[in-house]
Amino acid sequence: MGTNVLRKVLAVSTCKAARGALRVMKKGGTALPGKAAMFWSPDILSSASEGVQTIIVTGTNGKTTTCRILEHALAEAGKEPLANRSGANLLSGITAEFVCDATLTGKPRHKYAVIECDEAALQYVAPRVKPAVIVVTNLFRDQLDRYGEVMHTLEVIGKAVRKVPDSILCLNADDSLAASLALEATGPVLYYGIDASACAEDDESAAGRTVTAGFHDGTAVSDARRCIRCGAEYQYEYHTYAHLGGFYCPSCGYRRPEADVAVTRVEQMGQDSSTVRMRIRDGEYEARIGLPAVYNLYNAAAAVCACTAAGMSPEESLRSLGDHVNGFGRQEQFTLDGVQIRMILVKNPAGCNQSLAYQDAMTQDFHLVLCLNDRTADGHDISWIWDVDYERLCGNPHLGKICVFGDRAEDLCVRLKYAGIETNRIVQTHSLQELLDWLRASDRPVNILPNYTSMLEVRAALQKETGARAFWKG
Amino acid sequence: MELRIAHLYPEVLNLYGDRGNIRCMTRRLHWRGIDYYVDELGIGSVRQGAAGRSLAQYDLFFIGGGQDFEQEILLEDLGKGMAQEIRAAVGDGKTFLCICGGYQMMGHYYETADGVRCEFIGAVDLCTVGGPTRMIGNYAFRLGEESGGSIVAGFENHSGMTRLGSGVKPLGKVLRGYGNNGQDGTEGVRAGNVFGTYSHGPVLPGNPEFCDEILRTALVTKYGHCELEPLDDRFEMAAHEKAVRRA
Repeated sequence: MGTNVLRKVLAVSTCKAARGALRVMKKGGTALPGKAAMFWSPDILSSASEGVQTIIVTGTNGKTTTCRILEHALAEAGKEPLANRSGANLLSGITAEFVCDATLTGKPRHKYAVIECDEAALQYVAPRVKPAVIVVTNLFRDQLDRYGEVMHTLEVIGKAVRKVPDSILCLNADDSLAASLALEATGPVLYYGIDASACAEDDESAAGRTVTAGFHDGTAVSDARRCIRCGAEYQYEYHTYAHLGGFYCPSCGYRRPEADVAVTRVEQMGQDSSTVRMRIRDGEYEARIGLPAVYNLYNAAAAVCACTAAGMSPEESLRSLGDHVNGFGRQEQFTLDGVQIRMILVKNPAGCNQSLAYQDAMTQDFHLVLCLNDRTADGHDISWIWDVDYERLCGNPHLGKICVFGDRAEDLCVRLKYAGIETNRIVQTHSLQELLDWLRASDRPVNILPNYTSMLEVRAALQKETGARAFWKG
Repeated sequence: MELRIAHLYPEVLNLYGDRGNIRCMTRRLHWRGIDYYVDELGIGSVRQGAAGRSLAQYDLFFIGGGQDFEQEILLEDLGKGMAQEIRAAVGDGKTFLCICGGYQMMGHYYETADGVRCEFIGAVDLCTVGGPTRMIGNYAFRLGEESGGSIVAGFENHSGMTRLGSGVKPLGKVLRGYGNNGQDGTEGVRAGNVFGTYSHGPVLPGNPEFCDEILRTALVTKYGHCELEPLDDRFEMAAHEKAVRRA
């Protein structure tokens, strides 16, 4: 027993010391401190999270934003949560977050936590943290060279979920892959989604058009064309984007489950926010969502669903939804020498297509910056840019130049050329300095769509130039 | 001039940006004023007997890669007439570009590590056996003289180890990476007018010479001769050179 406590004390102090040292060195240390803690006490995460009401968010896209919305909602409800804001979402990073917050003997300080968790890491994190709620946002093809296939990702999430049968699952009803986790789950399940009524085709408002605009192209790649139960091709009553929507299998009857939390109508969808009607169990509410674009309707509904699962009232769940919250690089805004810059992280075709769809909501002239790196955290395989509908940029009346930056900028330039963008509108910058100069010289607002490591690089530069906060401070 | 292109099983074999290859071929035809159309032939489009379509009306075929989940559906459909049609089209000298899973599918079979064997089309004399390691990463190979001899840079991601039958020529020689099996230095296959490669997803946009070689093969087969007008490939060659350096 004594050794156990000693090991915990060592684990906690090493972890805190390591993180402190890394921050003094101005490195956002996120993995090493957790590894150090686990070295002394391999199961330190279990005790450091014991009794904490934790909401875990996993899935391909929307994890970070959903967590930020949740974190804000909990804080506004007087339940200030612990959160892994830095985006370190593997076992080591999550361990560091809990351990650094713990007392010296490894007991938690916070009562609540909102944790973003990598899909493959969930099987290690969930059994230790024993979350009250697990949110699965969606499953799309992502960094294939890291995970293999979408089905494999689904399997490892399923494995994790079955290890914690007491956790309430919040699943995206519109995603046949994520929703299918309920087929084998033994615990309680709540669903969230966008109802058919929000995507009604006779809706002449801009909102209706935007919601249904995602799946405009018959050749669009779907990650889930066939029924997960019987293999027949899904039919759809409506699509929101990619493979999300009102799916049903004509052969075995497997279909989109009814959503407990649903966007039932989109009143307005603008450049910075959306106004919707939302059903929460039996009640209908008006809600303003402080982030633009269709994918953020899902993130907001996911957060409200998790709040509901955690026992919060609809009023509490919705109260702060209209505030603008963002994770680093997600709808984050900067002003550089008077030029308005908005950064939207894109990591995979589904997310990128949604961010391109969002460009259609721009009501003023703008330039676009696209950044592509192929480092380990991005995935070395950049094939996915050919699954993205850059073609849709051709018809955007407000779009001026497209500036391209990153380790694989040349490949992106080729992609844009074959998408039909005139080559004289494509500008390649070869260094960060050149990119910053280009941004400074811009005569219009600029939207930047970087992938992961290029976001870190560009964001750090913008932060330095404009004095924004360091990422580990959120 | 006109090329009639068939994209086989686009709804199943569409992993890793495969459609970039179709986009690349059609743009490069369009820029040269050559007409084309692309038909997507999915599951159920070809059936033995009068009900289905024949592949005889097409000049150029593309088959991409896929994920395992849907393979059963595919094998079943191949057996209903598609395999026979593909063998006939190969016999007629039609041009094929087959990538990764689509490349393996042109061979006799795939045998998993546990010894389970999937019978494939058998249009080309090659077979694939599941290997212990995933062969993954940027790689480069040099095309054989009959395919133009240029360097192709791409990305491979497969655990299947492919062996070519005796006398069957590879598409090229591995410069860096694994290729067919990581052992004999061969990459892909060039059998008649069938081009098979592990370079998955969008191999053509960053390798314009390879793309033109395939288009030229299809046009020569159809018209007996073909001069492809050179294009401004500065963007393409910059990407190509970057990819070669990455390999």
